Amino acid sequence: MLLDTGYRPGPAAALRESLYRIRALANNNTLIRLRDPGQTISYVVMPMVLMLVLKPLYVRAVEGGTTKVVTGLLVMFSVFAISIAGNAILAERTWKTWDRLRVSRAPAAELLIGKTLPIYVVMVAQQTILLVYGCLVIGLPIPGNVPLVLGAILLWAFTLLAIGALLAAIVRSHGELSVITDVGALTLSSLGGALVPLSLMPEWAQVAAQASPGYWALEMLQAAVSGDAAGVVRPAAILLGIALVCGVFAIRRLTRGWGRGGLL
Amino acid sequence: MLQAIDLVKRYGPVLALDGFSLSVAAGEIVGLVGHNGAGKTTFVEIVSYLIRQDGGHVTIDGRPPSASRGRVGVAPQHIALYPSVTVREHLTLFGKLAGLRRAALDSAIEELTVALRLGAFIDRRTAALSGGQQRRVQAATALIHRPGLLLLDEPTAGADLETREAMLDVVKQRAGDGAAIVYTTHYLPELVELQATIAVARNGRIIARGTYDELVDGLPGEVRLIHDNEEEVRVSTTQPAATLIDLLGRAERPISTIEVHNPSLDDLYRSLAVSDAP
Ligand SMILES: Nc1ncnc2c1ncn2[C@@H]1O[C@H](COP(=O)(O)OP(=O)(O)OP(=O)(O)O)[C@@H](O)[C@H]1O
Ligand SMILES: [Mg+2]
Repeated sequence: MLLDTGYRPGPAAALRESLYRIRALANNNTLIRLRDPGQTISYVVMPMVLMLVLKPLYVRAVEGGTTKVVTGLLVMFSVFAISIAGNAILAERTWKTWDRLRVSRAPAAELLIGKTLPIYVVMVAQQTILLVYGCLVIGLPIPGNVPLVLGAILLWAFTLLAIGALLAAIVRSHGELSVITDVGALTLSSLGGALVPLSLMPEWAQVAAQASPGYWALEMLQAAVSGDAAGVVRPAAILLGIALVCGVFAIRRLTRGWGRGGLL
Repeated sequence: MLQAIDLVKRYGPVLALDGFSLSVAAGEIVGLVGHNGAGKTTFVEIVSYLIRQDGGHVTIDGRPPSASRGRVGVAPQHIALYPSVTVREHLTLFGKLAGLRRAALDSAIEELTVALRLGAFIDRRTAALSGGQQRRVQAATALIHRPGLLLLDEPTAGADLETREAMLDVVKQRAGDGAAIVYTTHYLPELVELQATIAVARNGRIIARGTYDELVDGLPGEVRLIHDNEEEVRVSTTQPAATLIDLLGRAERPISTIEVHNPSLDDLYRSLAVSDAP
């Protein structure tokens, strides 16, 4: 007999089924991530090396140099990690598997959550590892307010994920995506003060920096590691705004799909 | 089960569907044939709600495609699998997405592994499989939840004899269980084997529909008599047997070879679909 009888569950059962599908999707995407971990590893190891190398320079150049070198490189390489999210979502388009998922029982929101959850974990882990490394190896003072720092990381990773999803939804090839993420990430994060402390940059750059999410991430993280809860609020609100705008647009575009078009 | 009326789909100047109407009853296999670009895949995409039509409407069990998510099993024309994920993991994913739990999922995987002969490579990553193996996996992911409507877009493209036979057996069995099936192919003998209702698409619409006998009956066949490698007579006829006897009685030279060509689906296809394809 055919199993599919069109049975419709009540709200509690519907939620259980929804979670069951999200878990299945997340498991699948975790497998895919684990089998191709190269990009993730390099975005963790490269900043570790750079922190070690650049620390003496920062310490001599600016006040609070240790904090700046850790948070700066953390932000810069977390922005690079946008490409992990972007590539993962774009791959679903190039493999045409996104359309296979779209005909399944899982609504678009579930597909996106199941897709992005493992990537979110990767991004949060990347930033956490870099911060812990910063404390243990580089000499960053251990933050007094750990939940605040964790909150900042969670929010920043969410923003990056939303930007990555948006990029994956609008580009037409992996090449386009890497141009945007590599050049964009370098420009945005260094303009935001992640590579060179803002105070050392020309004045116009200091003004322009405010257009970069990297700038606000840096503000937020620096405030968070120094335990300044009030200083976290404004950048956090701005980042949340960016995340929501990007996220909503990405969801709408990915829900609609592309049929056979959309890719180069 | 599936009812499509007057579908229209435009891509700029291209009319992919131009008044395409097709219905499929529960337990029925409709073999959808037609030239390249006739609109078969476009039809499948609209029914599976991957693209929207510009005109006409579709219902699946009385509901629009938007409300039928998960009730349709789709095996797309192009292979769409995760390269680094194994066959078993694919079946688990698609089974779970359809709501199958442990025991039901295991038995569904087991059944398809046997039916589509996936056993030898069930724990291999799909990137490492041959084209025909990937085809079978793709079909299995569409069949795993026993959907009431199956859309199989060229499920035997590039398939060898074994794959083809396995596929046809499963399709017949699912129709026997009551599934409505749309089966597109360019290989017409499959449709005879499936005892499918045949629907011929041309330039975005269905121009003929019926059983094999209904469609082929009345088409002319051909009788050829050959004398020493030299064609003696060639007659196009709707009654090849009678014509043959008549011709043999009137032959003036000894005949070395007799060829009787009964009308076939290919003739139908040629006469309807290919003759003035764009
Ligand atoms: N996304 C698209 N953009 C532009 N044209 C398209 C698109 N999708 C389909 N078409 C056009 O629509 C027409 C029908 O295509 P379709 O894929 O439905 O044909 P088909 O019957 O499946 O052919 P085949 O036997 O080759 O698979 C073709 O002319 C095709 O070029
Ligand atoms: Mg096609």
